[in-house]
Amino acid sequence: MAVQTDERPQTTPTPDAGSGAGTAAASSDGRTLPKPSPRGITVAVVLGLFLAGGIWSVIDLRINFASLMDSWANTQNFMGRALPLDFPAWDELLRGTLTTLSIVLLATLLAVLISIPCALMAARTTCRSAALRTSSRVFIVIMRAIPELILALFFLRIYGFGAGAIAGILALGLHSVGMLGKMYADAIEDHDDGPRQAQETAGAKRIQQIFGSVMPGITPAVIAHALHRFDINLRASVILGWVGVAGLGADLRAAQGVGNYPRLLALGLIVLLLCILVEIISGRLRMKLLGRAEPSRFGVLWAWQKLRSRWSGERLETRPSLGSRTIPPWDGARIARFSHIGLTLALILASVVYIEWSALLALLASWTDADVSSWEVFTGEFHVAAFFTGLVDLPEESQRWFPPHDGDIQSTIFAQILVTIQIALAATFLGALLALPVGALAARNVAPRPGLAQFFRMVIVVTRGVPELILALLLIIIMGLGAVAGTLALALGAMGLLSKLVADSIEDTDVRIQDALVTGGAGRAQVFFAATMRQSAPAVVSHVLYQLDVNFRSATLLGIVGAGGIGYQLEMARRTLQWEVVTYILICVVAVVLLIEAVSVFMRRLMR
Amino acid sequence: MSVPTDYDLSLRDVLKFFPPSTTAVKDVSLDVGPGTFTVLLGLSGSGKSTLLRLLNGLHTPTEGEVRVLGTDVAQAGRSELRRLRRDIGMVFQQFHLVGSMSTLENVCTGALGSLRGPRVGLFSYPKSVRQRALEQLERVGLADHRFQRADTLSGGQQQRVAVARALVQRPRILLADEPVASLDPESSNQVMSLIARIAREDSLTVVCSLHQVELALQWGDRVFGLRHGELVLDDSSCNITHERAMSIYGNSAVLPAAAGAGAAATSGAAL
Ligand SMILES: Nc1ncnc2c1ncn2[C@@H]1O[C@H](COP(=O)(O)OP(=O)(O)OP(=O)(O)O)[C@@H](O)[C@H]1O
Ligand SMILES: [Mg+2]
Repeated sequence: MAVQTDERPQTTPTPDAGSGAGTAAASSDGRTLPKPSPRGITVAVVLGLFLAGGIWSVIDLRINFASLMDSWANTQNFMGRALPLDFPAWDELLRGTLTTLSIVLLATLLAVLISIPCALMAARTTCRSAALRTSSRVFIVIMRAIPELILALFFLRIYGFGAGAIAGILALGLHSVGMLGKMYADAIEDHDDGPRQAQETAGAKRIQQIFGSVMPGITPAVIAHALHRFDINLRASVILGWVGVAGLGADLRAAQGVGNYPRLLALGLIVLLLCILVEIISGRLRMKLLGRAEPSRFGVLWAWQKLRSRWSGERLETRPSLGSRTIPPWDGARIARFSHIGLTLALILASVVYIEWSALLALLASWTDADVSSWEVFTGEFHVAAFFTGLVDLPEESQRWFPPHDGDIQSTIFAQILVTIQIALAATFLGALLALPVGALAARNVAPRPGLAQFFRMVIVVTRGVPELILALLLIIIMGLGAVAGTLALALGAMGLLSKLVADSIEDTDVRIQDALVTGGAGRAQVFFAATMRQSAPAVVSHVLYQLDVNFRSATLLGIVGAGGIGYQLEMARRTLQWEVVTYILICVVAVVLLIEAVSVFMRRLMR
Repeated sequence: MSVPTDYDLSLRDVLKFFPPSTTAVKDVSLDVGPGTFTVLLGLSGSGKSTLLRLLNGLHTPTEGEVRVLGTDVAQAGRSELRRLRRDIGMVFQQFHLVGSMSTLENVCTGALGSLRGPRVGLFSYPKSVRQRALEQLERVGLADHRFQRADTLSGGQQQRVAVARALVQRPRILLADEPVASLDPESSNQVMSLIARIAREDSLTVVCSLHQVELALQWGDRVFGLRHGELVLDDSSCNITHERAMSIYGNSAVLPAAAGAGAAATSGAAL
């Protein structure tokens, strides 16, 4: 509602005039630099600490040119041993791929189904009760803070190791609520509340308002964010293969376990292609849904369209006579819409059948083969049934995880948590260091030549497309187990994302200021530092902090494949069945995640 | 709760206070008989929207009594309020259509108050409701656009759809909050004459807030003037000259200063 009165601005000068006089008096001592504000000092100190932390981590983790040069020799050595690639038989490959895709699809579906009610309860426009809103927000934050890895460990315990699929679905699905719930809640709050109010005035009940105006309004955003999450879940699901979640990840782990590098590299290539393919498809769909005419110039999609560079014209619509129909006729648009819905439902159904199908196969195998020990869970049961019987075990199983216990290795746990933080700090630092020039050069309004911007955009597309896991696995083979491999893998990933964000925010800056400076005779570099960087600095800083948060989670995950940090400790605790220790580590990890989140919320507020 | 009265709307000494310091409506008493086309005039911030929202229970009065169709709005329970709201259609300045829905489905949502449970898609509405919605769309002249997405319509068309949506409720009272403020003069006239025609045909009681004095005098049977939440004009439109109507805005020559002073006084109280 337009309740702001036009005459408001006239009233504000009164207090302003007072403070204006105050500054005039203060500046009469001839200062030409402003007194630093407490806010500015805090921002500078915190950023300085992060910077120092990043540098210290790089040094402490021994990431330097000498070790990089050493690995160069190893690379050649490795390539000799890894080539030629050894692809698995196609049916085996298909099985792994379909399992992974089914898990990811069902996990994302589960996440959407949980996230929507959570978001409705968390958004101001759809939920009146402040207590309910807060508890829903807290639930969402906690889901985000608990690593999918630990959820997977827990569910694998309950459903047994034969049930890798359902544990993966639950772990990824629940963890995704942390992101989707927040995004959906924001989408609801950002969406125009008018239609809902109109229905309220017409006497519609709250639930009718939600289905009648809120849901139709946010559906495009719901699907777009879900597709984005599908991408993320695909990458995470492969990592979860290391703890026993079925799919391509499990195959990769097996190859790593026996040191079968040709196989490992071949599977890594498959995962890479799958990720790129999924990104192309989901990017396409997202672009259509959000009504953007042009794909983000930093996605694989952009490169894809560059190659195609054809654009199909809009079809002309013919308007048939409608008579007294109250149900739309089957025109092209409606058929397309329904076939999308139909295709989605078919895919979901196929995934469910496929997941249960493998259970059936397992059952068959247990009949023909006397040794059924590894398939115990199934004894003829379907996953869905296993899920419900598993719920019965939930309280008993939970007891094994409590109370949290440090397993008498408290100092090791703390040291490994610290290493994980170091990995995150160093990776973010190195990533940002690379991203600033790459991102700036990829921005069209900064790059000296369009061709250069194009080249750097390609660099970004490629680095973003490669899953961190695949990078980490390669680096581990080349440089050996440990934090260096993890850090470098995450640094490259961070570079990809950060340079995109840097380039985006530089391109979003107000060009008029740049133009004004150029007109004033400033050089290109002067313009860049005086106008461009100044404008985009707050956005870049908050992106970097966000990246730190992402990197800490990823570092926790990657530890399990041997890339250093607390993940390895989790793997040890799992192998020795010390579930109280897992809980202890979980608490530490969640505490660190919440701390990072608190700092970045605090910083964002200061810089606004 | 419901007592028969001669008036569709009657307000007694109504005051609406918004914490911390805004009194949006002050000591307003008025009665509106059935079938009257009333217009609310007043500067921005004078309390027009607040008054309209008091009428359908979106706000409850801080003091005084609001009676609509014999029901005391403040005393009404949830289901009673819902029933009352079914009898009151409302049209907004920003139309408030669901952009991604078809025109016909948007009109159907007007009937939600008399349906049970949530609805998704045209299929989910009973045939009778769809038929009724189509009739109303025909009345506002947009039946050919029934399957078009609402956000692809022009502003004037969207407002006509919003009118059709309000009519599907089969209301007895129609509230319109600056229905033509976002439209060009041509569409404004179209929408206003549409509302007037429908009000006559269905013998609706209309309360419509407007910015333009000309439109108010042209369409209103009766005109209310609000200034700083107080009722400063209440007369039949044939008794009102253009000058008298303008006077509710204060003396136009000193208008900005007076408004500034008023607002300054308010913010002074806040400090
Ligand atoms: N929900 C609310 N909370 C607090 N103050 C409000 C609220 N709604 C309205 N007000 C205040 O009440 C006063 C009257 O607002 P109202 O919206 O009724 O004016 P209006 O006459 O409709 O103005 P316009 O022509 O701009 O729509 C304004 O000062 C406004 O700030
Ligand atoms: Mg208003």
